[in-house]
Amino acid sequence: MLRRNFFTITKAVTARLNRGGERPLSRVPRPALALLAAALALQVGSQALQPKPSARAEALSAPPTTTTLRALAFGEPIAFAALLTLHLQAFDNQPGISIPFAQLDYGRVGEWLETILGLDPVSQYPLLMAAQLYGQVPDPTKQRQMCELVRRQFERDPNRRWRWLAHCAIMAKHRLRDTRLALAYAEAIARSATQAPTWARQMRIFVLEDMGEAEAAAILLGGLLASGEVTDPQEIHFLMERLKQLRGAEKSPLPSKK
Amino acid sequence: MARYALLEALRTRFPVLVLVAVAVLLLASFFVESIAVTEGARFQAAFYAAGMRLAGVFVAGLYVLVSIAREFNDKGFDILLALDLPRAHYVLGKLAGFLALAVLIAAVASLPLVWFAPLEAVVQWAVSLALELAIVVALALFCMLTFSQLVPAASFVLAFYLLARSITAIRLMGAHPLAGADSLSHQVISGTMEALGLVTPAFDTWTQTAWLVDQPAAWASLLQIGWQSIVYVLLLTAAAMFDLYRKNF
Repeated sequence: MLRRNFFTITKAVTARLNRGGERPLSRVPRPALALLAAALALQVGSQALQPKPSARAEALSAPPTTTTLRALAFGEPIAFAALLTLHLQAFDNQPGISIPFAQLDYGRVGEWLETILGLDPVSQYPLLMAAQLYGQVPDPTKQRQMCELVRRQFERDPNRRWRWLAHCAIMAKHRLRDTRLALAYAEAIARSATQAPTWARQMRIFVLEDMGEAEAAAILLGGLLASGEVTDPQEIHFLMERLKQLRGAEKSPLPSKK
Repeated sequence: MARYALLEALRTRFPVLVLVAVAVLLLASFFVESIAVTEGARFQAAFYAAGMRLAGVFVAGLYVLVSIAREFNDKGFDILLALDLPRAHYVLGKLAGFLALAVLIAAVASLPLVWFAPLEAVVQWAVSLALELAIVVALALFCMLTFSQLVPAASFVLAFYLLARSITAIRLMGAHPLAGADSLSHQVISGTMEALGLVTPAFDTWTQTAWLVDQPAAWASLLQIGWQSIVYVLLLTAAAMFDLYRKNF
């Protein structure tokens, strides 16, 4: 009785283990095997005979309007803006080909950056790309294009975006050798970015000084010290020294560093 | 077997699902057309065609997976195996039914496009979609017979489709790296990508919206797509037969 039960159980377990297992290869009919081998050979052969794909640079298309993109974002404009930013950032690196930034259509690049900012106005990323990435190409026209974009966007939210305009002011002074442009940017920061740190708001004084406008610089610096905005003793000391130098220069004008 | 596959589709209201997908995408395309400032017709055709292509692949692939899964669960498959019917006939019969379904889906999906695009381009798009769906249904059949479980089979079909849509870009990136072309890891990855390219159809060149909105495809390229489809469906059919013959139930 016990022996019979043991055999029954063993048989059931073996059947259970074999269920879902594989039958030997010999159970596959030869025509099916031949068809598999022939189809695989045909597939690999026909694909190997195909010409290899060649890389082709694609032009940057115009961006859709912010309203359209908002609709396409399905209520996730920040995530969608991030995706678009990464898409734009990687556009110079298309499959199999690398396009120098200088060869990109900067008008289009600017449109994309402004559209992305429209989608996510708090993001600093598009302005960083404009100032630090696309603005670094050795082409003054394109550098100016990016700086103008930063300037336009600065006016919309000065307290959040002043640092990128400050970068452009430095770029205008040292790379573009356009101190008037640098002064315009520095004045815009001093005028509109009320929450910017003092060094950024003092920038126009040093630009003026570089332009040989010692008197104007001295007046501005004096006004700044008198306003009580600067509270750090060391900073006050440094600015006082600069003021003395400027007043000395008024009597014997400073040579322009331009 | 093919007739029963079609009958099953009819009785599970599959045609209604396809018609609803067509209607929803058509309505959405009219909405896109209405908000487009310019090139409204172009936007509409492009939106509908791209959406319908994806919807067609989704419903056709999923239908095949679920249909075979139901046969496994209802033991209908066990009854078929008990009959004096070679397993190859089961694969071929089912596949014939699903291929007919793929052609019907492509035909219905392309009908609204007749109003948006030139007839020649619509015919090319429909033929290409039918061929693309033929590969998808053959792949879904193969996956379900091989994995026997819905989730792994559906995951494989999805992953394969995404790979097929992007294989050309992946091969290009592998063939022309921006840095580190000589490293061993790159050589291995590039070789793997090239090998994958040999056994994966490049779906990015199939059923292109550009045919509808820019200019029709060259018929020679469509012949090429047809040839590739036939070879690939044959390969998947043979692989499905091979797996089914080796399976123990």
